[in-house]
Amino acid sequence: MFIRLALLFAIFVSLAAAPLAEAATYKIATISPDGLSWMKKLRDGVAEISQRTDGRVKFKIYPGGVQGDDETVLRKMRIGQLHGGAVAAGSLTRFFPDLQIYNLPLQFRNNDEVSHIRGKMDQMIAEGLEDAGIVTFHLTETGFAYLLSGEPVQTVADLKDLKAWIPDGDPIAAELVKAFDISPIPLNITDVLAGLQTGLINAVVAPPSVALALQWHNHVSYVTDLPLVYIYSMLAMDSKSFNRIGDADKVIVREVMSRVFTEVETETRLDNEKAFQALSTIGIERVSVPEESLKEWLSVAEASISQLIESGEISPGSVEKYLANLKAYRDEKGEEGAD
Amino acid sequence: MSFTRVRTLAIFVSISLTSGCANLVSGITSQMANDLSDSILNSEDVDTVREGIPAYLLLVDSFLRSSPDSQDLLLAASSLNGSFAILVEDEDRVRLLSDKSIAYAEQAACVGRARLCDLRGKDFKVFERELEQLTEDDVPVAYSLAVAWVGWIQANSADWAAIAELGKAKLLMSKVISMNENYENGGPHLYMGGLETILPASLGGKPEKGRAHFEKALAINNDYLMTRVVFAEQYARLVFDQALHDRLLREVVDANPIVEGMTLTNRIAQARARDLLQSSSDYF
Repeated sequence: MFIRLALLFAIFVSLAAAPLAEAATYKIATISPDGLSWMKKLRDGVAEISQRTDGRVKFKIYPGGVQGDDETVLRKMRIGQLHGGAVAAGSLTRFFPDLQIYNLPLQFRNNDEVSHIRGKMDQMIAEGLEDAGIVTFHLTETGFAYLLSGEPVQTVADLKDLKAWIPDGDPIAAELVKAFDISPIPLNITDVLAGLQTGLINAVVAPPSVALALQWHNHVSYVTDLPLVYIYSMLAMDSKSFNRIGDADKVIVREVMSRVFTEVETETRLDNEKAFQALSTIGIERVSVPEESLKEWLSVAEASISQLIESGEISPGSVEKYLANLKAYRDEKGEEGAD
Repeated sequence: MSFTRVRTLAIFVSISLTSGCANLVSGITSQMANDLSDSILNSEDVDTVREGIPAYLLLVDSFLRSSPDSQDLLLAASSLNGSFAILVEDEDRVRLLSDKSIAYAEQAACVGRARLCDLRGKDFKVFERELEQLTEDDVPVAYSLAVAWVGWIQANSADWAAIAELGKAKLLMSKVISMNENYENGGPHLYMGGLETILPASLGGKPEKGRAHFEKALAINNDYLMTRVVFAEQYARLVFDQALHDRLLREVVDANPIVEGMTLTNRIAQARARDLLQSSSDYF
């Protein structure tokens, strides 16, 4: 009896693993609302895939968080209710903790550094995730997060009086808050506006575009001109689902999706620059950090990175490689090193 | 990537060629404006109206040259420019029309209603305080300003500084509802329905509040078919409720569009409803 059951199970598994001969629809979800520019590009991309695979590979998109937040989307991917999701990189940390190297505080100084380092290290992240069962396409920039606050913040000491929002369950944010001795107020993103309105929080760390889109800017007066954390996202597919696609069709899916998200990233970067400028236009004062204070910011950030390594949140090898690449790039440009 | 661009969201609000033109100017001109306005609103021929309105806009501009301080005329000009923008496809022209619409509304706000004058550029906290002072007498100007503002933000949604004004425009519309929710056949509820359903709940949007506003707008005026269209496109699509989406749109398609003062917009609503129904199975 046991043998027969095992055999039956094996047949089911092999059937599930076999490439599908007939058309299949892959369900992907995101919290992003429909109608945004990148969603239009994604919809065009999936239409192209369907056309080029003669309808063998179709995607169904669930926008606006109708399938839940990133965590829920990933859980549904695990049980096969969904096949993929456009999610924040941070939500995939448990699959490959080292994807957090790009999120290390105060390391990237500008977009040129980001482009250079990502050209060298994106592949490592994609492979790390693929080994853990997650197929990704071009990693996509969300942008630099800045500190927006009710009072001007120039020095590390200025941070002590802040009641700052940190996203629920984000280890880097939690570590950052600890290192900089900020009073952390963990909230879901949906509660941030109300938190600012009621004074529960008086500071947020977010890309300016997010702060503007979610109308947080009405409750802050200053932005510290220091890119604190680099944030990115990606379309992640469950590899079991992805591997059901025939080999030739996989090539098409990879090509189209990578192209779509490369285009999205180019647009997003421009958009983020405009959003940062818009903060000044609407009267949010830009606070620059003096050279001597910057050293203090950087040394606290480095201490927090050491802490992340010690606590096992991220591997020392990847961090060293990342910092070495950054230093080499700065040396090449004749700038001060990464340390 | 995830939520960086609310800007292209369809704040697809209603086309509201208001009957505010009724009080344009006195005497013969007023009668002509009345008749013209009625003809537009009751027209079944969208294309003729699209081609004909520019002449009417010029006419109103010319009236304003001789009566620059007429609040009624300014409000009518704001409304006409804003409404016509919805019939235009060229983005530059839409921006131009929406610029005129909000400029006229702001001008109207400064003619007599001091509390509403220059409100737009005020600091958010000051803005909130000023709104608290408004009374029911301020409703016509406040509503026109809010409508023009939302249209202007929509037309300039590539500009983050414009997106930044959305919170204030929404607060103003919400204040109008608290002062007179039945104004303009429930228009404020229709707009608030649209504004509350820009963002999904996962990003702090309030789709259910939006639904309540749409339902209230329908309770106030069940014949205005555009309400169902915006309800379907903004709310039902956002929460992925295909049954509601298709039901609302079928009701629009099956309805008799000829209703005094609403025929034109009802015709536009029916065309939009057919398009949305056609893409329903792809979306859901």
